[in-house]
Amino acid sequence: MSGDPIGRVRWSSAHSNIRSEWPEVSFEDRIGTTRFDVHERAHIVVDGAVCADCSTRECVVACPAKLFVPTADGGILFNYEQCFECGTCYLVCNREGAITWTYPEGGHGVVFRRT
Amino acid sequence: MIAVCWKWVALDDDVRWAGVSEADRAALEVALRLASAHDDVVLVVSLGPSEAEIGLRQALAAGAHEVLRIDASTELTSRAAAETLAIEIAASGPVRWVVCGDYSPDRGSGSVPAFLAAELGVAQALGLVQVDVAGPGITARRRLDGGRREELAIDAPAVISVEGSIASLRRAPLAREMAAKAAPVTVRPGPAGPLDDDALVAPFRPRPRVMPAPAGDDALARVRSLVQPTAAAGRSETVVADPPEAAQRIVAALRAWGYLADPGTISPAS
Amino acid sequence: MSDTVADAAPADVDVVVVGAGPAGSCAATVLARAGHSVVLLERGPFAGSKNMYGGVVYPRILDQLHPQWWEHAPVQRWVVRRSTMLLTDTQALTVDFRTQSWAAPPYNGATAYRPDFDHWLAGLAEADGAQLVCATTAVGLLRDEAGRVVGVRTDRPDGDLRARVVIACDGVNSFLAKEAGLYTATDAANYTLGVKETLALPKEVIDERFGVRDREGVDIEILGGTGGVNGGGFVYTNLDTLGVGVVLKLPALAAQSARPEQIIAGLKEHPAIAPLVEGGEIKEYSAHLIPEAGRSMMPTLATDGMLVAGDAAAMCLAAGIWLEGVNFAMASGIAAGEAASEALRRGDVSTAGLAGYERRLHDSFVLRDHEKLRRAPALVLSDRVQHQYPQFVADVVERMFRVDNPAAKPGLNRIVREERKRSGLRWRDLLRDAIDGARTFG
Repeated sequence: MSGDPIGRVRWSSAHSNIRSEWPEVSFEDRIGTTRFDVHERAHIVVDGAVCADCSTRECVVACPAKLFVPTADGGILFNYEQCFECGTCYLVCNREGAITWTYPEGGHGVVFRRT
Repeated sequence: MIAVCWKWVALDDDVRWAGVSEADRAALEVALRLASAHDDVVLVVSLGPSEAEIGLRQALAAGAHEVLRIDASTELTSRAAAETLAIEIAASGPVRWVVCGDYSPDRGSGSVPAFLAAELGVAQALGLVQVDVAGPGITARRRLDGGRREELAIDAPAVISVEGSIASLRRAPLAREMAAKAAPVTVRPGPAGPLDDDALVAPFRPRPRVMPAPAGDDALARVRSLVQPTAAAGRSETVVADPPEAAQRIVAALRAWGYLADPGTISPAS
Repeated sequence: MSDTVADAAPADVDVVVVGAGPAGSCAATVLARAGHSVVLLERGPFAGSKNMYGGVVYPRILDQLHPQWWEHAPVQRWVVRRSTMLLTDTQALTVDFRTQSWAAPPYNGATAYRPDFDHWLAGLAEADGAQLVCATTAVGLLRDEAGRVVGVRTDRPDGDLRARVVIACDGVNSFLAKEAGLYTATDAANYTLGVKETLALPKEVIDERFGVRDREGVDIEILGGTGGVNGGGFVYTNLDTLGVGVVLKLPALAAQSARPEQIIAGLKEHPAIAPLVEGGEIKEYSAHLIPEAGRSMMPTLATDGMLVAGDAAAMCLAAGIWLEGVNFAMASGIAAGEAASEALRRGDVSTAGLAGYERRLHDSFVLRDHEKLRRAPALVLSDRVQHQYPQFVADVVERMFRVDNPAAKPGLNRIVREERKRSGLRWRDLLRDAIDGARTFG
């Protein structure tokens, strides 16, 4: 039998409009294409106490750099290093004082090249 | 005077992506701290093309007292670069410290500081991860293999090289940053061509060494004497000696085994 | 945040322009040419390093500042094909326009990398005598006892810079304009998030897939394809890369579960888009906010000692078939430079003295286009336009072109009637949006 069901399923899913189960690149590889000159001072500060009782978590889905990650204990883990400095997080955040956002130190942060 | 050597590297011919290494920037910070502790001045020297002046102006803005560019548009060997740097540094005045970064953005061998120390005839302490002022000298910490550290007390004059993590270069005050843009940079002519034979790139060839004839009466015994592990084990020797004496023994052994040429013999061009 | 400084201290420079993007560099150029001392502050390591966009710049406004700009501008391709595409899950309706007249000087639109274009423009300002100071973030305003803006505080040691006029071109987040109280409120609904992948493909492959040659380029603007989030998409050609991205309305993005990169992945897998972008390797991933709401979100444009221009003043036109920003930034920068120069010459940098700025904007396309299209952003991002009309229109066209033999062809009127019924759209809404659209775009 030449029929290889697994192979055939793979072939057809690759040519349909069904969204792939796996992204073509990992998020780490994706964000790794962009250059960041990270400064030691965090330019985003998140008040975990305010986030603890937030159920909507807008920042988690909206941040294009995926800087905000929910933790199992209901908190928010965030990093500032690979930040596009776009401002989405503080604009979508509904909680007063949860996100304090400034620009990074001059000369640091994201450095675009081909965009 | 404290001299700092900066290597300007343009990886793809675009000044936006060119610059010096974090280690070079850290070297300037270390030099500035030494200068304020010892009431000294800092000279930053860069051997490179005219774009290197962008870096030198940043050094001026951050607090360097003087900058000097030695014109060189082609890549030099570490030894040739060190020779040139040594001549210009020595000509600039009595130097107490030469501070370098221990790598450049193009990932060189980090050997310029060592050559520089040899050229200047002063002590060297390379790959430092900590530098503290101690009286007129410094104490430093150096990374060794196996996670060990070495504590060193160093007196001037000496060449030191530092890792990038040792310090971050201070930010330039606004007025200095603005003034540095128009500051003149002294330029001296660089080497006209390769300074020595070492500048010629050639494939590595191990030095030929003289091997004694194998001992033994018949062919089998001679083969055995060549391949028997005891022959190699015979080279192992534990010595307890003073550092100068130990160094002499090591050099003598290396000569005996053929790793070092005998003084007086002409080493073949490598 | 604002720091009060003594009146007596003299200004360090005539003008400090904050932000060396297209607005700031044009303002600085105008001022330097008029003989004023001007400092152009840039927080990135070089001008353009913080900037990205949806791909096309329309630089004709540069004719007056830099004649023959096209001979040296760092352009990727000249856009000769403009496509507007409606996407549903399985359909695509494209209006595709091509003209060779855009392939020759003075051109129309161009694709360019912003880190190249902005760097070039800032270099021209420097060449004209403006002092560009990079790697320096303006963290606040300096004011005198009367509250007038008299300079900026930067994040460098001894970083205060006193100026007779501050021109804030500090981008979409403009903390300076907010600090000066020029924005009444900041509403997330006024912003969209642009997210983009730069995909590498060989030039020949791009030429073949998009039907262009040499430096000819294509810009495709897409309605739909954003996974149900209000917004749009785009695909455009650089020399040997493609820009593929989406523009997403912030509250709509935050209220669902797909992340921006997943929405781009969905767009790239659409049967109408996949063949264009297939095999492209991600070279850079980038994102930026867009002040989408146009005229309705614009701040007060001047206060004592200060003007606001470019994205900082929300001068970005997102009106469906027109998506422009860099040209508005450059034009507002020019106007701000001229107005500041005029005010300095007359010795009156008060709000009244700087009123020439808004007057100039009203006389130019900057505010004219925004006034005329002030209803467009809301219309284009409305739920009906976003979610119902693409399906309705695509279904009508599909019926038109479908051969249902042995059934005879239905008339267009019948198709529209039937499809409207099937779509659940109400005549009343259709009519209202049609009138709205006619008034907006007519």
